[in-house]
Amino acid sequence: MSLLTRVRDLLAPRKRSLVFRLVLLASLWTLLVVAVAGVFVNSQFRDAGIRRFDQSLSMLTDDLYAGTTVEDGVVKAPFLVDIRATRAYSGRYWTLFDSPGGGVLKAIERSRSLFDSDLMLSSAQIDQLMASPGKTLFLDMRGPQDKPLRAAALLARLPGHTTPVVFLAAEDRSQIDADAGRFVRITAMALLILGGGLILAVVVQVRFGLAPLFELRREVASVRRGQTERLHGQYPEELEPLAVELNALLAHNQEVVERQRTHVGNLAHALKTPLSVMLTEASQQPGPLSALVTRQADVMREQVDHHLRRARAAARSQTSGERTPVEPILDELAVTLERIFQDKADGQGIEIDWRCPDDLCFQGEKQDLMELAGNVMENAGKWCRGRIRVMATSVGEARWSLVVDDDGPGLPPERWADALKRGQRLDEHTPGSGLGLSIVDELSRAYGGSVTLGDSPLGGLRVSLDLPRAPG
Amino acid sequence: MRILLVEDDPDLTRQLKLALADAGYAVDHAPDGEEAQFLGETEPYDAVILDLGLPKVDGVSVLERWRRGNVATPVLILTARAAWSDKVAGFDAGADDYLAKPFHTEELLARLRALLRRSAGHAAPSLSCGALRLDPRAARASVNGEPLRLTSLEYRLLHYMMMHQGRVIGRTELVEHLYDQDFDRDSNTIEVFIGRLRKKLGSDRIETVRGLGYRLTPLEGESAG
Repeated sequence: MSLLTRVRDLLAPRKRSLVFRLVLLASLWTLLVVAVAGVFVNSQFRDAGIRRFDQSLSMLTDDLYAGTTVEDGVVKAPFLVDIRATRAYSGRYWTLFDSPGGGVLKAIERSRSLFDSDLMLSSAQIDQLMASPGKTLFLDMRGPQDKPLRAAALLARLPGHTTPVVFLAAEDRSQIDADAGRFVRITAMALLILGGGLILAVVVQVRFGLAPLFELRREVASVRRGQTERLHGQYPEELEPLAVELNALLAHNQEVVERQRTHVGNLAHALKTPLSVMLTEASQQPGPLSALVTRQADVMREQVDHHLRRARAAARSQTSGERTPVEPILDELAVTLERIFQDKADGQGIEIDWRCPDDLCFQGEKQDLMELAGNVMENAGKWCRGRIRVMATSVGEARWSLVVDDDGPGLPPERWADALKRGQRLDEHTPGSGLGLSIVDELSRAYGGSVTLGDSPLGGLRVSLDLPRAPG
Repeated sequence: MRILLVEDDPDLTRQLKLALADAGYAVDHAPDGEEAQFLGETEPYDAVILDLGLPKVDGVSVLERWRRGNVATPVLILTARAAWSDKVAGFDAGADDYLAKPFHTEELLARLRALLRRSAGHAAPSLSCGALRLDPRAARASVNGEPLRLTSLEYRLLHYMMMHQGRVIGRTELVEHLYDQDFDRDSNTIEVFIGRLRKKLGSDRIETVRGLGYRLTPLEGESAG
């Protein structure tokens, strides 16, 4: 019972892999068949061996019976040429018993090989003999030196002798036992190899048969990692519906995320025009009330911006990612930012020198890369005296870094941590929400990356982003 | 100075008209995209303040139609959409500046002043090389009238090559005109920028002369400037 529950435990769904369960079942079945086959073959072999043995014993008994004579009431055994029956303890023996009745046998003649010992029959064997006179019986018994013997015995009457005589021939059977033992070892070895081969074949078969399942798992994993957007593989008809359903689920998920993002965006953008109206109205009617409204409207603007971007960053961790080439984004941002800052540096504008390998891809959405790089570069644009350097480089297979340097006044190290905090304005005179770097920090965290500040060789601040790279 | 204000919110329109009039501008107003497009194409404005979220035709489309119709009036975009993808799209469509709502009136006026000052900049002769044109006044270049989007370094490189078109210019000469002296220059800087220019101009316009440098030439069938 406990074995049965253990087997059931092993087969319990979700506990073990499919491969394990299939291989386990096949192994149990194979072992059972191989064991039954082994037992059957061995018993057949043993029976055949014993039958041959018995035949030769039976012939000896017949010879004894045919050759025995009675002279004056005395039983005389024939002279048998079998050399083995003459040497002491050779393994081949015969004995003639007189059976006066009452379950007792009295030896009257014996082979020379018996030397000084007697062959003894158990009383049950004697009863058996008495019950079937004239029939050769085959018995197992113990002989000299306690060797196992096989014996053939015949109870018959001899003319001129009043009581029946038992003719018994016996031979040491350890040879056939040894033969049988060797055969058991050989068949066990062969069957073990056969069974092992079968199980191995099952393992291969299961692996091959379940390959589409592993392929499906690999594809789902690559969707989650954002390397592809949906399942493209061709699956067998049992798996095809699952793949179709998974694709539908992915599309649905994408749609829900997209819709939520649109709702949040619409709300945030709808609030901005009324805020503009409040700000403008306040600026046109100066006074304590207008100062309050201006201050509060500014706070609201920061809040709206913050939560709008938070919503985008939060949506990021759920939706399936995609790959965005970095080079065109940096190009577009550089052109745009130079235009935005074209009045800086006494109307000279700014110069953005950017470098990026052509094949570098960001593991994520285009809009987010624009926000990340755009805000860091805009921050540099606000502070620089005219020059910004942007370096995108791959770091190993899975990461890349974006390093933005400016030639502005820089920032003392003790204020680096503050610069990444939300709502920290580093300089009240510089226009803008002051949220740029905190947004970058939040967004890069959502992508499992980070922002580090440092000193730039150009003299100003260096902002380094560590971001996931899409495999090439 | 005559300004076109394109804005659909009545309160904001009233306030901005007031603020602009106070600052000494003459203001026309268009409440939707269709009217804005018509006014922009027919009236000679000095600048346009353009909201992007408009009824009938959206702001970016209006701007694109103006630019396609060779309306060069400087345009300041005013919008609630402040994401970088929106800003890039706005500048791509041909905007000259971009201000996100909500904004302070003073900032709008300051941006408008800067916009007008820039567009009034002194004239300089434009350069051409086949279908490629470069206008130093606006710091803009175009191929067959299609504006090119160049960064200042790319523009500077193209400007130098156009001034010396037809001549083979060595790498050292180019890098000297690209960067100030103190800027670090790695060996493949010029290759990077030539590669980017080729991507934007079409690869045949800049010829590599092995071991010597690069040469800018008009395409076959185009006349040299």
